Amino acid sequence: MSDDGLLSSLRYLFADFLDEQDNTPPSLPDGLPDGASSVVSDGIHLLMDYQGAAYAKLYVERLQRFVGRQGVDAATFREIARLMGNRMAYEDAIRIAQLKLAEFRDSDGQVRSTDVKKFRFDELVDALPAVAADPVLMVLDKLGWAHRRVSIPFSTASRWGLRRLKIEAWLRRWRLFSIRYSEERAWVERWLHMIGRSLEKQPSATSAIVETATMVEGYGDRYRQGLADWHAIINGLAKPTFDGALPLQDLAGAVAEARAAARPDPRQVALKRAIAEIRARALGAGASAAAG
Amino acid sequence: MPRFPPFGFWLASMDTSHLAEHAGTAGALFASVFVVATTTMRTMIPLRVFGILTNLVLITTAIPSHNYLVILVQTVVLVLNSYRLHQMLQLVRDVKKSVNSDLSMEWLKPFMTERRCEAGEVLFYKDEKAEDMLYIVSGRFKLVESGIELPVGAIVGELGMLSPSNVRTQTLECVEAGLILSVSYSKVEELYVQNPAFGFYFLRLSSARLFQNIGTLEQRLAEQTAAVSAAAPKPA
Repeated sequence: MSDDGLLSSLRYLFADFLDEQDNTPPSLPDGLPDGASSVVSDGIHLLMDYQGAAYAKLYVERLQRFVGRQGVDAATFREIARLMGNRMAYEDAIRIAQLKLAEFRDSDGQVRSTDVKKFRFDELVDALPAVAADPVLMVLDKLGWAHRRVSIPFSTASRWGLRRLKIEAWLRRWRLFSIRYSEERAWVERWLHMIGRSLEKQPSATSAIVETATMVEGYGDRYRQGLADWHAIINGLAKPTFDGALPLQDLAGAVAEARAAARPDPRQVALKRAIAEIRARALGAGASAAAG
Repeated sequence: MPRFPPFGFWLASMDTSHLAEHAGTAGALFASVFVVATTTMRTMIPLRVFGILTNLVLITTAIPSHNYLVILVQTVVLVLNSYRLHQMLQLVRDVKKSVNSDLSMEWLKPFMTERRCEAGEVLFYKDEKAEDMLYIVSGRFKLVESGIELPVGAIVGELGMLSPSNVRTQTLECVEAGLILSVSYSKVEELYVQNPAFGFYFLRLSSARLFQNIGTLEQRLAEQTAAVSAAAPKPA
């Protein structure tokens, strides 16, 4: 074996520890609609920075489902590309550490500050690989601490703070094995699935379904609230309409109405009431149309 | 008649320490040969066999010198090597048997992990990148787009691993809570690379299942064609 071959084998063996990976960004898919190249390119670079080339490739593969698809115009495609890029770069403690380090580097070490973020214990543990996170979550559940809030400082003000941020950012190599990632993956796939179903069943509502991605953002309480509201709207309105169980003629309007009713309330009282009213109206109108 | 002391007496009265030392050195040399041979093995089954031989030689050579730590460590490794070898041989045997009988994929069960599913839960969506195959143990599961309900014992996604596009062709939803087993494609790839015999029979099995699917489709097509012909108006 040549020295070069031996060296490359050793690099491959220790790739995880050396943080060495394929840094070649995936190429843009063929047949992109007008003006989409720059948005997709931004998404690729965002995800290269967030996780790596393989993750950016997954983004491109997901987008390819909508290239040239009937009913997907340039504006809708661009919006799907933009929102999916943002969602795939979801905010966890690792991402916050990455952004804080980037801020420090971009200012050539001039900006030194401390941000304190509030997380729940289970949210922090969810960012770890499932093998490690599961037993920890079990113990936290037993102690009743899983939902306890904790303040975490992200600081570039001291050498120790920077070292800690680097360690946290280094954990990204195990991000794709985490519980949070599997949840995010399921969410993105469900969102894309709902866009696909809307294109087939009610194309006029596609933009509204695409835009629902803006409901899920951030971390902590804001993220959990947005996620719960999104599922409530999709389960209460979109899915039954696509399944043919709810005769809702204007799904886009109904989604907008429900979104307007959503409040930062963990019990979702206003949102659930609004969804129930929309459903009752649609079922009533459907029954009248059938009788008439 | 003169009485001779027993053999044990003679042995006990001799100084045998130098014999044990020589036996130990010779044994260590002999064991080294096996250690080197083990590291040269390219695939898993010969590697385990040589690993077991090395363990046995090291245990044997450690006995005269009363090296209990080596004996203990090598015994533990011996048990582990034997178990893994048994697992590998059983896997090859089961896959081979499956190729020659019902094309079932039950042999993958020992390598799968359990997962509980609730009613309404979607296991994967159409067009999603496929990364694992699933085995339905209990409950009811439906392919949403085609409306086909999968029976208990069905395997889902076994051909996705070999397909170039590697995407799900339908959405799988849990209709009634149940249990599934799953194994990642990377795990199957690992088994494939470690064990050429398994790889060969796995390819044969996958091809056989593919041909079986083609056969079923051809049969359905023939039935549909016959139905259309029967319904067509006959000339007067």
